Amino acid sequence: MAEIKAGGSRNKVIAIVAAIVVIAAGAFVVSSKAGNKSGTIYYITNAQQLNHLDPQRVYTGEDIAFLNTYLYRTLVSYNPVAGKDSSKLVPDLATDIGTATDGGKTWSWTLKSGIKWSDGTDLTCEDVKYGISRIFATDVILDGPTYALQLLDIPADAKGVSAYAGPYKKTGQDLYDKAVTCAGNTITMHLKKAVGDFNYFGSYPAVAPVKASADNGDKYDLKPMGTGPYMIASFKAGDKLDLVRNKYWDKKTDAIRPAYPNEVILRFGISEDVRDQMFLKDTQPNAVNYDQGLQAPNNNNKVFHTDAKYKGRGINVLGPFVRYWTANVSKGHLDCLDVRKAVFFAINLQSIIDLNGGSELYGAPADSPISPSIATDYAPTTGNIHDSNWKIGGNPDYAKTLLATAKGSCPAAYAKATSSGIYFDLAKTATGEKTAALIKSAMEAAGMVAKFNLIEPGVYYPTVMNPAKQGDITRAGWAADWANASTVIPPLFIKDGGFNLNQNWDDPVYKDFAAKVSAAQGETDRAKQAAEWKVLAQIAMDQYWTIMPIFTKQQFEWGSKIAGVDFWMPNGALLYPSMHLK
Amino acid sequence: MLKYISKRVIYAFVMLFVLSIVVYLIFGLVPIDPAQLSCGTHCNPVVVEANRHRLGLDIPLWHQWWNFIMGLFQGRTYGEGAAIIHCPAPAFGYSFPNNACVSEVMAGAFPFTFTLAVGAFILWMAVGISFGILAARKKGTYIDRLSTAFVLIGSSLPIFILGLLIYITAFLLHMIDPIVQGTWVSPLTDPIGFFKNFIFAWITLALAYAAIYTRLTRSNVIETSSEDYIRTARAKGVSERDVLYRHNLRTALAPLITNAGLDFGGLLGGAIITERVFQLPGLGYMSIKAVLRDYDLPLIMGTTLLAAAFFIFFNLIVDIAYAYLDPRVRIN
Repeated sequence: MAEIKAGGSRNKVIAIVAAIVVIAAGAFVVSSKAGNKSGTIYYITNAQQLNHLDPQRVYTGEDIAFLNTYLYRTLVSYNPVAGKDSSKLVPDLATDIGTATDGGKTWSWTLKSGIKWSDGTDLTCEDVKYGISRIFATDVILDGPTYALQLLDIPADAKGVSAYAGPYKKTGQDLYDKAVTCAGNTITMHLKKAVGDFNYFGSYPAVAPVKASADNGDKYDLKPMGTGPYMIASFKAGDKLDLVRNKYWDKKTDAIRPAYPNEVILRFGISEDVRDQMFLKDTQPNAVNYDQGLQAPNNNNKVFHTDAKYKGRGINVLGPFVRYWTANVSKGHLDCLDVRKAVFFAINLQSIIDLNGGSELYGAPADSPISPSIATDYAPTTGNIHDSNWKIGGNPDYAKTLLATAKGSCPAAYAKATSSGIYFDLAKTATGEKTAALIKSAMEAAGMVAKFNLIEPGVYYPTVMNPAKQGDITRAGWAADWANASTVIPPLFIKDGGFNLNQNWDDPVYKDFAAKVSAAQGETDRAKQAAEWKVLAQIAMDQYWTIMPIFTKQQFEWGSKIAGVDFWMPNGALLYPSMHLK
Repeated sequence: MLKYISKRVIYAFVMLFVLSIVVYLIFGLVPIDPAQLSCGTHCNPVVVEANRHRLGLDIPLWHQWWNFIMGLFQGRTYGEGAAIIHCPAPAFGYSFPNNACVSEVMAGAFPFTFTLAVGAFILWMAVGISFGILAARKKGTYIDRLSTAFVLIGSSLPIFILGLLIYITAFLLHMIDPIVQGTWVSPLTDPIGFFKNFIFAWITLALAYAAIYTRLTRSNVIETSSEDYIRTARAKGVSERDVLYRHNLRTALAPLITNAGLDFGGLLGGAIITERVFQLPGLGYMSIKAVLRDYDLPLIMGTTLLAAAFFIFFNLIVDIAYAYLDPRVRIN
């Protein structure tokens, strides 16, 4: 093959120019360090978007705290301070924290005057009433809290479906109009039964007002209108949520929000590696990590929260969340107490804690489904992790003795545990798969067979909340919706509670348990009610409905120009109202 | 030629039609229920059924497919009352996680993907062909060996590692600001911002392709240079420059058209990894989010069909270009 002789310099020039283009392109932007816009706080997240912006659909503590601070106002709010006083309610849109009559079956709030929407129109009682009505449009308004569905005095059929279908279909509108009424500036809600702490629900965006003329169904989730100090300038999933000042917000009507920054930008889609470097290197001093913690597997989180050089730019606190495994006690699953106990004592909990960052950052073994953050209602239980046979690294020998008992008391469940296998529901993530390996090993050591439903994270809860698809033991987590175990025990353990993964309504102890729950819900003496929740937590633990609970810790990070940061316990989030730039 | 083109266009439309059936069947038969997925966390069977009706999934599959096809031309309406949703034509469906019609989501993502693909294409063609020609002409020299090293590195380094390395390095050198990276900037209003947004993504994507095109160009040029007509041209005293540009490259680069057309067409469906690493919310980024996070079947189906349509379109362009360059193709 003949070699081509060097002909002209033109080819060399083309190649060299191409190379220079590549190199110069990089050099072109060398001096492009982003300038910080004065008065702008950036929130950084790996997520593509918030779960929801529509107030009736928001239901995670972090999002509630963020959006209630900047975008919406609600009837009442948690006290915007750190520490124990943060659990107290303070008025927000309303003049007080709510008035109960009829022994707690009727609740009223009167709206402050002079509050305007971000389009300059006046807020009315009808706007609040309309906002709440949207919760009943369960085919459009998804994912929000269901307390209004359960508690407002509107009948439901045998399947629990309300006779009111929401403001879009208007079926049963007259029933809603009787349950929620407006008289001037006063909104009154009539409940099915007495609920002594219903006013806490008033702190949820679910009861935030919505102007009927601005409601466009699903699409309201893209750009809701608010009465808070900021309004949405732009929102694009995967890009950013840009909040700018709402000129119609009047500081005189709002004792909760100092509204320090001029602009708030929530930046989506930052890769975890880049996000971690932003906070480790402090490249964006006016940024706050919205993701709660840096990456655990590569040690970034541990370094940030233990190295003294990051002191003052992060906090590591005990949060309100309890992570746990819930036993499906329906027939054919784990309907045998001895088998549930055997699993509880067999698991090497230490290995799972270590996998997730250790006790310093992940949390500690728990003895109740109620977090100690609800100090009024939490009390250490007996048995479970306080049992002398329980070991944090697992006690396979004791688990075997429990199994031996189960062989006689419930042979079907015994066969399942030792032969056909117990199915664990786990999210199909790297951590989930490693957790599965740890569980499998611990179960094998105790003579049990573990199998796994590894479920895609995006469909995890819709899958496990379907009784036909749920396995035997399901990974889950919960935090109180407000500082009362009425938002823990009923949701987790009562049939129509909303998050009952136990399917425990055929359990022999359920009937008595449910009666006690109903009594506690109606108890208006808070001290007596707290005592009743403690008894119920003990029953749940004694039945091993909840396995391997963990009282979890939470971490937060921010840049060097951010000040006024603290932990807002009721929301398990940062105290957004007090945050400002140095 | 016109007959050839007409035939290819008809084939392309038939292929798109068949593809729509296959894709719809696949998504209709997967064991995932969109009515359940759009039911939220507090789901009950009544809501699932209501969702099924709202989404038009309570009718036979063939009827759903027909509605889908008609929606592409007429648009579609979902729901009722104040919560009614209308998606104008071409309606690929409604994406609940995005609260938007699929066509709107894709229209928002397409400028990112298109810009990424065009920029990277120009870069890789310029670098790949230039390096390939140079390596062929300097065969056996250190320049050729350098090009071999470039090819090895470029084609063996996984793009997610290369992209992450480039991103993190650029970030630590303050050449990328994650706060603004990936936010759309118009090249007309802020050309520098636009350039900064894409340059590192272009480089990442182009490096991998440029390596392949360097190798292809080099081998084609060397192979062509041994042809009889090249020898004849030289024997007739044609200058080396003319031999290269008039005789060698015209033949050597023709096969690259096929590769370039298909690669570019494929990229318009979304460069998933590069878009993800560089926070560019393009079609690839949207698709992977729809698959891994949301199980957003209408969006997955829309992006799949769009990517396939681009691929078929550029295949058509390649066929026509080839027929133009090589008359034997259209005669056969």
